[in-house]
Amino acid sequence: MQSLDRLFSIIAGYMDQWAVLPVLYYFHWMAWDDLAFDWCLICVYGLFAVLVTYAICVPLELWRPVERWPDKKAVAVDVLYTLLNRVGVVPIVTFVLFYQVQTWATGFLVERGFIPPTLESLVPFLLGRPMLTFLIYALILDFADYWRHRLSHSFRWWYALHALHHAQRQMSFWSDDRNHLIDDTISFLWFFVIGLIIGIPPLQFPLLVLALKFVESLSHANIRLSFGPLEWLLVSPRFHRFHHGLRAAGRNSCNYASVFPVWDIMFRTADFRDEYLPTGDARAPEALATGSYVAQQATGLKLFWQALGKSWASLGIGRAA
Amino acid sequence: MTTHQVVSTAPAYREPSHWALTPDRSQLLVADASGNALFMYDPRTGALLGHKRIADPYQIGYTPDNRYFVVNALRLDFVDVYDGATLELVKRFKPGRWPSHLDFSPDSRWSFNSMQNSDTLVSLDLTTMTERWCVKAGTTPAGVLWLNGRVLVCLMGEGGIVEVDPIKGGITRWQKTGDGAHNIFLDEQRHILYVSNRGPGQTSLTALDPITLKPIRAYPIPGGPDDIAIAPDGKIWIAQRFAESVAVLDPETGDYTTIPVGRSPHGIFLSTMLKQKGQVTAERLR
Repeated sequence: MQSLDRLFSIIAGYMDQWAVLPVLYYFHWMAWDDLAFDWCLICVYGLFAVLVTYAICVPLELWRPVERWPDKKAVAVDVLYTLLNRVGVVPIVTFVLFYQVQTWATGFLVERGFIPPTLESLVPFLLGRPMLTFLIYALILDFADYWRHRLSHSFRWWYALHALHHAQRQMSFWSDDRNHLIDDTISFLWFFVIGLIIGIPPLQFPLLVLALKFVESLSHANIRLSFGPLEWLLVSPRFHRFHHGLRAAGRNSCNYASVFPVWDIMFRTADFRDEYLPTGDARAPEALATGSYVAQQATGLKLFWQALGKSWASLGIGRAA
Repeated sequence: MTTHQVVSTAPAYREPSHWALTPDRSQLLVADASGNALFMYDPRTGALLGHKRIADPYQIGYTPDNRYFVVNALRLDFVDVYDGATLELVKRFKPGRWPSHLDFSPDSRWSFNSMQNSDTLVSLDLTTMTERWCVKAGTTPAGVLWLNGRVLVCLMGEGGIVEVDPIKGGITRWQKTGDGAHNIFLDEQRHILYVSNRGPGQTSLTALDPITLKPIRAYPIPGGPDDIAIAPDGKIWIAQRFAESVAVLDPETGDYTTIPVGRSPHGIFLSTMLKQKGQVTAERLR
């Protein structure tokens, strides 16, 4: 694992020295020199994650597909979502924003005499135990993600955005990052606050973070695969497919967990039936399922706006006295 | 016997960077900026002895009289002055954006702190705890070194060093070294200055004459060379920040070997430094 990590650093180093730093120096932004390396590392890790996911999931999807499609046009746009989210500008912008806000928040607190803790400073036993520390971070974030996801199915305006993710009838390992930008922004803010509270290190466990992202990609794959007796331990393609099933779309769903099904078991939303359902959202406009990236985003925005209006109306906001 | 292998790894919170040796030489203090902590290790064995939570320690150093321990908090824009004996905060300055590196006058009266994102060098009077002056040093200043009654400052954005008059803050000399000139060191015999140049493009270590500031030789070192240390056999140990390695350079031949060490190696302390007379600092390698 360490030699792999080193290889990534070397690639990122070359990318930094020969592609990114010349641009930063040209525009006199060289103060960002240190962080530029981290940006490159994010891109390298993201690219590696996509390649590994591709190398593992493609043979599996060919071997034991749940569905066979005459064409894969609807999958193509999901590839774009994945590249933008894992290799492109989104993770870098996320990292820079998180860094800036974390810095501002830390400075604000330090000036008032409080040094924000890290998880390891709160639990000294964790110092020097990076795997255990990572597992705890992962559990906390996955727990938070369970509730974010469940709430996104509970509010009309939020599901209007999340429907884009559920509209895909050709669900494959590419579908994990298929989200509306506003939905992504809400997720980002959600994790932002939690990350700030628990002092999450953005780049301390990149390989392990990628392992978790791999589980999420695999869970969306078009594969007839369950983890058998270990189904309760890690979200399998079967488990998550049940969440994407036509019957589960909308505001009464199940199997919300992204990585650890324990949250669904704990809050009684788990469904371990051994069924492989067709996916999609029958009520979603066709543009959300098969439209271009722009059409999907535009339609999602329109639905969100309409749902927001209905939510306001139901609260009595905007009515004439 | 030297094996050039990692023999042990000690924990820290996030990303350890610079170091300072306590005046009694019993503890090696290592700054962990994003972990908001100062870690203490045994300088002989590397064993973890403890840690203290302080805000964003990046570059750190004791004044030559050991009275104060000064911390550049790069992320938070603070220069914090702690009591050298108790490590209690005495004074906090906000002299500019991204305080990067620092050094002191030999009489411990003044500190010199580069502000990486304000393009300035700031001097603080540690006797009155006031800011003495602030001068535009050049683009993206980083490494700082007091030498022969002058202050040398690396300018990453201009690929060289400037010499600053410590009294008035005026720039008196300029010397090109290499793109991304980052940190500066003086060898044990005070015969050679070394400047690490972190790019873009080809990265290197430049050897300079400490009197004339003229380059003597440039050593191409890939992977973002940062801090260095010089072993008793004359070999130069160089942190390759972005290659997860430490390079061991023979300055005579220019050949080097590398030791994989893990993510983002930064400051380098050699236990042989404990035998040095006088104060042991990261930049003055004597």
